[in-house]
Amino acid sequence: MNTIEQNAQNEKNGEYVPNIFNFLKIIYSYLKQMKALYKKGEMKMKLAKKLATLAASAALLVSLAACSNGENAASGKEPSDYPKNNLTIVAPSGAGGGWDLTARAISKVMNETKLIDKAITVENQPGGGGAVFMATYATKEAENDHMLMVKSPPILINNLKAEGNSPYGYKDTTPLAQLTKDFGAIVVKEDSPYKTLTDLLDAIKEDPSSITLAGGSAPGSMDHLLTILPAYEYGIDPKSAKYVSYDGGGEAMAALLGSNADAIGTDVSTVTSYVKSGDVRVLAVTSPEKLELEGLEDVPTLYDLGIDAEFTIWRGLFGPKNMSDTAKAYWEEKLDEMVKSEEWKAELERNGWADEYRAGEDFTAFLEEQEQVITEILTALDMQK
Amino acid sequence: MGTLDYLLNGFLVAFQWHNILFALLGVVIGTAVGVLPGIGPMSGVALLIPITATLTSGLPVEMAATSSIILLAGVYYGAMYGGSTTSILLNTPGESSSVVTTLDGYQMARQGRAGAALAIAAIGSFVAGIVSLIGLVLLAQPLSKIAIDFGPADYFSLMLLGLAAVSGLAGKSVTKALIMTVVGLMLGTIGIDAVSGIARFTYDSPILFSGIEFLTIAVGLFALGEVFKTIFEKETHDEPVAKITRILPTKSDLKQSAGPIGRSSILGFFLGVLPGAGATLASFFSYISEKKLSKNPDSFGKGNIAGVAGPESANNAASGGAMIPLLTLGIPGSGTTAILMGAFIMYNIQPGPLLFEEHPQVAWGLIASMFLGNLMLLILNMPMVRIFAKIIETPKKYLLPLIIAISVFGVYAVQYTTFDLLLLIGCGVFGYLLAKHDYPLAPLVLALVLGPMIENNMRRALTISNGDFSIFITNPLSLTFLVITLLWLVIPLILRMRGKNVIISEEA
Repeated sequence: MNTIEQNAQNEKNGEYVPNIFNFLKIIYSYLKQMKALYKKGEMKMKLAKKLATLAASAALLVSLAACSNGENAASGKEPSDYPKNNLTIVAPSGAGGGWDLTARAISKVMNETKLIDKAITVENQPGGGGAVFMATYATKEAENDHMLMVKSPPILINNLKAEGNSPYGYKDTTPLAQLTKDFGAIVVKEDSPYKTLTDLLDAIKEDPSSITLAGGSAPGSMDHLLTILPAYEYGIDPKSAKYVSYDGGGEAMAALLGSNADAIGTDVSTVTSYVKSGDVRVLAVTSPEKLELEGLEDVPTLYDLGIDAEFTIWRGLFGPKNMSDTAKAYWEEKLDEMVKSEEWKAELERNGWADEYRAGEDFTAFLEEQEQVITEILTALDMQK
Repeated sequence: MGTLDYLLNGFLVAFQWHNILFALLGVVIGTAVGVLPGIGPMSGVALLIPITATLTSGLPVEMAATSSIILLAGVYYGAMYGGSTTSILLNTPGESSSVVTTLDGYQMARQGRAGAALAIAAIGSFVAGIVSLIGLVLLAQPLSKIAIDFGPADYFSLMLLGLAAVSGLAGKSVTKALIMTVVGLMLGTIGIDAVSGIARFTYDSPILFSGIEFLTIAVGLFALGEVFKTIFEKETHDEPVAKITRILPTKSDLKQSAGPIGRSSILGFFLGVLPGAGATLASFFSYISEKKLSKNPDSFGKGNIAGVAGPESANNAASGGAMIPLLTLGIPGSGTTAILMGAFIMYNIQPGPLLFEEHPQVAWGLIASMFLGNLMLLILNMPMVRIFAKIIETPKKYLLPLIIAISVFGVYAVQYTTFDLLLLIGCGVFGYLLAKHDYPLAPLVLALVLGPMIENNMRRALTISNGDFSIFITNPLSLTFLVITLLWLVIPLILRMRGKNVIISEEA
């Protein structure tokens, strides 16, 4: 059994030997032992028993290898130890969406600037609006320091809403940093009779059935919440407001332009070109302060209108729940350097993302705060868990 | 400057040597993406975005943008060309838009007419590509206005018409077709309801939140169903699928296809313009209307070349049509165009009302390059027909594992979950049993596509009208569709009552 011990020792020392080789090595050494015993004439075991022993030893080996692997990942105490393997950033959606682009941007900048030498691959794990991978991540991969994940407000919303609930939330991860931000916008068509958000909200208050609000996602998800938020804070029963959901912000915009909706809630980054072309007007944005974007400088925030609410559409990077301190420190340091790099700034600009960096503790505190806002509005909608 | 001047300028851009190269690269990759199941146009385009960014990094921004978009768009319409190949040869649809091509394409291949089927698919795609481009050049602005006026009520009535047309997909028995339609509609309700946000039939399993993937069902029913059939029924005599007699379509093939190609190009183009309708629907609609118009509708499903020419033209035309809302409104009509839009934005070019004014070079360069790309595709694809058609001569014992591998790989590459693989196998067995008892598969698949759209648009419309059903009749477009639907259903019944022999209810 010398080889097994040696292997375990190797694993502990951090020399990574793929399991399959260990496995073959053990079998080989075992067969050699068998052969030796057989030659000496001491071989009296029946074939079945032999095989059973072999299987048992193999099982032992596999479990041992698995254990030592897990132990390894959790106990990488030496700073130079991490990252041992190539890294993976998971976008819990198909290729091409916001999560995917963010993951690819991080991997690209980290590797190009040589901040991280180990290759970072981006993996797409779609399903259930991110909920499927979230379940895997919070359970099976909770110890896997080499697997990171990009997420945005749905990590909170999916965990808090009753329908389509994801039993795991941000508390089942290690929040590393917020990297980008965007805000919600309440938009009407250029020829709409509603000149200000207050006009619109007053009209809804008077007769909720007269105004059709729309957004790009199902009730209880992000577009719905940010559309309803101002109305709710204005003292309108959010359940009475008429909200029509479309498949994505593009279709919602089409509904607005085709006069099939009176107002839509969407994100600022998608409306800028329509504002420029003069097709739509933005009544309010959900940022804490006025935005410095062309054509939107004068758009009031909800605070400006006396509505006490804001909503940030952030994107950030998360580690596994039981991330080791070494790995956490490593990523926080690297991310800190990354956001200062020219390459990252170029990447942000290319994708039209606004820069906002919140690291570790700040990010967690921010998430707690956002969680409360979302719980409050979901409760008002009677959609909370 | 008039449209023509802009277009000429566009050709100047498209004919720069590096742009020719990019277009060629795009269509070659696109064809490969289309042929290989699993890597659909959507993931193909998404994965190439970072690569094109690197390839064009030396160029000034505007030129870099033009070149990359030319390449990416090439992948998009190239994939539409290639998508039919596995449908025809292996009964394995690679993309949802080529599901309906399996119905007649595979039958043609079994009769030794694989070459003709593949060639007509390429020719139809080419014609449709050019027709939709001409439409794009001439009608972009007015059509974009109509596209946005298309409200939920109009969509509902249009989809209802599609569902009514299911009778066109019925085999021997209308009852069986209706049963399959209902099964499809029911499967379509699984997942988080987009209108209320309520999870339906998910049993708290996140894997079902986003519903059942259409492609998994289609590949399972069609491709694996066929595999199981061959295995269970042990075709020991291994009828070596009729020898390929000739590669190119005959004169009569071409004559029979001309009408379907022309009609489907126009139909597909208009459906493509509507955001959300897309290529899959276009191919179904085309198939159904071709069957309705055909002189011998009975031959559909048994290897009628019009059943390949129509849908393949329609899905290509639809991908051209889908460029209109993308370029003129910045509204992506499908998943792939949404990703193309992401690529535009990456170069700080916002597709939308201002695109043609602010970046005429990009917009017109792209359109001109698509003319060029379509031509390249035709030239590339015709010789390939010869090679691909040989696949069908492979003995069953090698072909079956290949189909299974392609199906499994294809579904996994789209969904990344083992659940879908189990579903795939389940659908395979189910598909075999259904086919054995003469239940037609196409109505199920069509209902699965249409069901959620019908439901969501109906409820959107009713939310807007505060529950008043008159919204469907007061709206002129919607009313028109409803009347056509009604006629579609009633006329055959009336004819039948008068004693005429009509295909609709040949109860077996």
